[in-house]
Amino acid sequence: MSQYRVSGKGRVDLSKKINFTFEGKSYTGGQGDTVASALLSHGVHLMGRSFKYHRPRGAVAAGSEEPNALIGTRRGPGRFEPNTRATVQDIYEGLQTNAQNKYPSLKFDVGAVNDAAYMLFSAGFYYKTFMWPRSFWDKVYEPFIRAAAGLGVSPTEEDPDHYASRNLHIDVLVVGAGPTGIAAAKAASAEGLSVVIVDENREIGGTLLSEPQAVIDGIPAWAWIEQELAALKAQGVKVMTRTTAIGYYNDNLVGLVQKLTDHLPSLPADTPRERMWRVRAGQVVLAQGALEKPLVFHGNDRPGVMLAGSAQTFLNRYGVLVGKRPVVLTAHDSAWYAAFDLADAGAKVQAIVDVRDGVSEALIAGARDRNIPVRLSYTATATKGRLRVKSLRVNRMQGGTVGAAEEISCDAVLMSGGWTPSLHLFSHTKGKLAWDDDRTTFLPEMTPEDCVIAGASRGLWGIEAALNDGAEKGRAVAAALGKAGNAVSYTVAEDRTGSGVSMKELPTDLSPGKAKAFVDYQNDVTAKDLRLAVREGMRSIEHVKRYTTNGMATDQGKMSNINGLNIASDALGRKQPQVGLTTFRPPYTPTSFGAFAGYHRGSHFEVTRKTQIDAWAEENGAVFEPVSQWRRAWYFPKGGESMDDAVRRECATTRKSLGIFDASTLGKIEVVGPDAVEFMNRMYTNPWTKLGVGKCRYGLLCGDDGFIRDDGVIGRLGQDKFHVTTTTGGAARVLNMMEDYLQTEWPDLNVWLTSTTEEWSTIALNGPNAAKLLQPFTDVTLTEENFPHMSCVECEVAGMPARLFRVSFTGEIGFEVNVPAPMGRQLWETLWEAGQQYGITAYGTETMHVLRAEKGYIIVGQDTDGTVTPYDAGMGWAVGKAKPDFVGKRGLARPDLVAEGRKQLVGLVTEDGSKLEEGAQIVFDASQPIPMKMVGHVTSSYDVGTTDQPIALALVEGGHSRMGETVFIPMPDRTISAKITGTIFVDPDNAKLKIPASAENKGVAA
Amino acid sequence: MNALTSLPTAILETSAARILLAKPKARFSLRARGDLAPFEAALGLSLGGPLGTRASTGSRETIRLAPDEWMLHSTPSDAAAIEGACAALYDAHPHSLVSVSAREVTVVIEGPRAAELLTIGCPRDIAKIEPGSGRRTVFDGVTVILWRDAEDSFRMDVWNSFAPHLIDLLKIGARELAAEVA
Repeated sequence: MSQYRVSGKGRVDLSKKINFTFEGKSYTGGQGDTVASALLSHGVHLMGRSFKYHRPRGAVAAGSEEPNALIGTRRGPGRFEPNTRATVQDIYEGLQTNAQNKYPSLKFDVGAVNDAAYMLFSAGFYYKTFMWPRSFWDKVYEPFIRAAAGLGVSPTEEDPDHYASRNLHIDVLVVGAGPTGIAAAKAASAEGLSVVIVDENREIGGTLLSEPQAVIDGIPAWAWIEQELAALKAQGVKVMTRTTAIGYYNDNLVGLVQKLTDHLPSLPADTPRERMWRVRAGQVVLAQGALEKPLVFHGNDRPGVMLAGSAQTFLNRYGVLVGKRPVVLTAHDSAWYAAFDLADAGAKVQAIVDVRDGVSEALIAGARDRNIPVRLSYTATATKGRLRVKSLRVNRMQGGTVGAAEEISCDAVLMSGGWTPSLHLFSHTKGKLAWDDDRTTFLPEMTPEDCVIAGASRGLWGIEAALNDGAEKGRAVAAALGKAGNAVSYTVAEDRTGSGVSMKELPTDLSPGKAKAFVDYQNDVTAKDLRLAVREGMRSIEHVKRYTTNGMATDQGKMSNINGLNIASDALGRKQPQVGLTTFRPPYTPTSFGAFAGYHRGSHFEVTRKTQIDAWAEENGAVFEPVSQWRRAWYFPKGGESMDDAVRRECATTRKSLGIFDASTLGKIEVVGPDAVEFMNRMYTNPWTKLGVGKCRYGLLCGDDGFIRDDGVIGRLGQDKFHVTTTTGGAARVLNMMEDYLQTEWPDLNVWLTSTTEEWSTIALNGPNAAKLLQPFTDVTLTEENFPHMSCVECEVAGMPARLFRVSFTGEIGFEVNVPAPMGRQLWETLWEAGQQYGITAYGTETMHVLRAEKGYIIVGQDTDGTVTPYDAGMGWAVGKAKPDFVGKRGLARPDLVAEGRKQLVGLVTEDGSKLEEGAQIVFDASQPIPMKMVGHVTSSYDVGTTDQPIALALVEGGHSRMGETVFIPMPDRTISAKITGTIFVDPDNAKLKIPASAENKGVAA
Repeated sequence: MNALTSLPTAILETSAARILLAKPKARFSLRARGDLAPFEAALGLSLGGPLGTRASTGSRETIRLAPDEWMLHSTPSDAAAIEGACAALYDAHPHSLVSVSAREVTVVIEGPRAAELLTIGCPRDIAKIEPGSGRRTVFDGVTVILWRDAEDSFRMDVWNSFAPHLIDLLKIGARELAAEVA
């Protein structure tokens, strides 16, 4: 047995020997040990270095509130995690752990020079120290700060574990499985109510695990836990251990993180490492208990100085003596019992030092029985020891003055500054807190959620009080759910009730200005820092917190909050509630990114929508680009072609002969009903009444503000039926906008909208040979007379039911063939094969962009940015001015939308023949002083199309009346001049849109 | 055919759940308001009841998704009959009947832990969806229609392009739950 393990104590199974390493050295422990308990059993207190001063640190607590003993854990490639608390990490065979913030070694750390130079590192030191000279910032200060900042080292390898999530709906959630929570779960679990109780520890019991002496209704505490666990399970209560309630969100949504494999020596298949539960509970009982506060005095962070209650836990739960010659320093009765337990387990308690001038006779007698010297009305002023405490300096206090010092030799200091009710989750609910002057703490008052708080977390003390409050609150939540609940009450023998006082930093006879009396261990914040913050003008605790970092990061005020508040309020000379309490933020304890990401990683990171033709594109070497959630073929390189070369070829082939394009991602909405045309008139800027059945029109959609939101070609398939297309990215947004208007503004209209985006696969054919290719597959006669540009018809194409549109987004003869989605690839391959005689090219989104720009067709979201009106875009022709109303009509009449000098869409041709950069800013006068007045920007720019010079579209102030003028585009290396032109660069007369008369163009049936 | 439609009917079976792809069917989105009786008579289906109510006759079945919205399923061969029946009503009872047969697929999820499997992606309380009813809801952030046929048997309708993502998660979950059972 290791040196500090006490035979017959604790719940660790030492018959199952477990080997692990810390700092490369092997240690053993038993089943049920944490890294901290196992190390302490070997007398190892030094577990890390502090964040700022690199001071040696050991475990100060025994649970998840531990601020110091942060370790890195490793179990093979990728499975490294920094900042794991040694007090919660179970050991398993083969676990590798390391200390953090140390260089070159844990025992000798050069960073500890910060500790000697602590005067430089006072609160706000970043703001003060690194100001001058300015030139040092980039090369010296910032790299230094970045290197020094951060706790632990970020993992560098990809995490091979997977993470899960589940939703859970229950009647009652109990957070915390100590005596309060167990009693609450038992009381609530009646009449079929579904109850879940969770606890962050490996087993339920809470404080009872550390207080085995208690006897509940005649049953010893540990036997009682077994009995209650079995009873809860028998009643159908779901008991979840290793599960932390990390946050409380609106409407009784509580986030739980369940750790599933971090304690296992080998990882089971298909099992996630952690699972996030999103629990929606009818009622929540918060039974998070209370956390012990440290005392604030010089040297209170030396390894071996720890919370008395934690020492009691290490002894009673893990069978480990944290010291054989401890001294107890306290402001609360509870630490006396810790002293008694350690003494009874064989430790030679050097003294009980209490800041109070009187305690109960029972405590004095208890100390006397164990021959423990008692010093009442004493303060502690220093500790000694380098990597481990070896003495405590204490002074008698008399009438407010600090008397002579004496040193008590020891190997551990067990301190207690009293207990803080754990209000974290209660505060997440935006619960109101009330200051309790007697107990010098905040207590819960009101919460807007269906939530009660019970036991020590609302300031009750003692196991009996906790059990009975838990039972009462359990019945209360059952009653709130309309059930009676179980009536239970408890009597506890050997209950250790008691009280204490709350302190600011302890009085000292040494210079307070040199004291390193830590309030927040994790952030290395001292009492002196808090007082400095107040001296420098911080008045609110929120400002003090940010100036000093007290209670920030993972601590979230667990140990530092009330001590920090007591000191700040003392420095300000105001009562604590006037200084305020900082906000507790979720998560309650550090939570992995994996738990938040859940299943959304790797290939499942986000939905990738693919069309029915996507697989063909992939087989044919397409390069893809994401367009909203879709992945679309971007271009189809052949034989090692560059992107530019591929796009140049695709453009040229399409203009010369024939191109085929997958347009399936276009949004489609079926608008049906007697009021369909009226709805279209109100929604779109264009007039629709006179559009005949079988005809199409380009539609422009504005918002109320008059700015362009979306566009697309719309076909009238029947008197009451429109086939609307939207942009790919706008599909869902446009449908929602339409539904919004329909349901809130025009509920009187008899018209319905159905998304048909995915009903159809849409194949676009463009080029002089498009009609020739298509004609053999349909009985629609594809002539200029019979099926002119902007026609549509329901027909058959290649034997498939189809909606055929004659539209063009390239300026060539164009068709869009819609067939039922799963038939898309079959049609594509049919057309592809038949197109070989015309040298058909498949083209992607890039060629589509280039060809449409050459014709001056806009892309909403590229050539518009939410501030462009139809008039700005040169599309006033699409506005039905005679219509009584449409969405955006009022907006378009606003003074600033009809003002002169708005940015308008124009073409640009550079004078030196170079290609402009999309997004480049435009000025009228290149010789004006910097900062120049910017008058617009380039929205689209291409040099791979079919024009003999690069072309660009741009928004330019008053551009429509500046045709032929020269503007300038200042770039980092030079200034480019460009001439303003119209937006149509190819076939301005639309001659190419027409199908030439030819005998070939006859329907097969004609 | 794309990757989706070439998927085998049975996708995955574990001790927790079985995931299958249903055969193609005729699907219509029916929108109507006012007197429902003519539609009920024409289709032979009851359309009333609270949202999530289902009705079936022969191969036809329907679920009410909104006060004026139903999803209608039947065999492909019945599609023309449904269209004809509704078209005859249009003048007197204007409505919208849009075929969405090609828009979506149906994934069948059944087995001892099928209901639990759905909790990995659906924030709704599955227990409150009675067998024989259904809901339009979300799964892994994607809109789906969930039909509960029995305690341990569900169907999930989802648009084509979202299906591979959803099926992927169902597979992960079915394996995860099976590992838990073991």
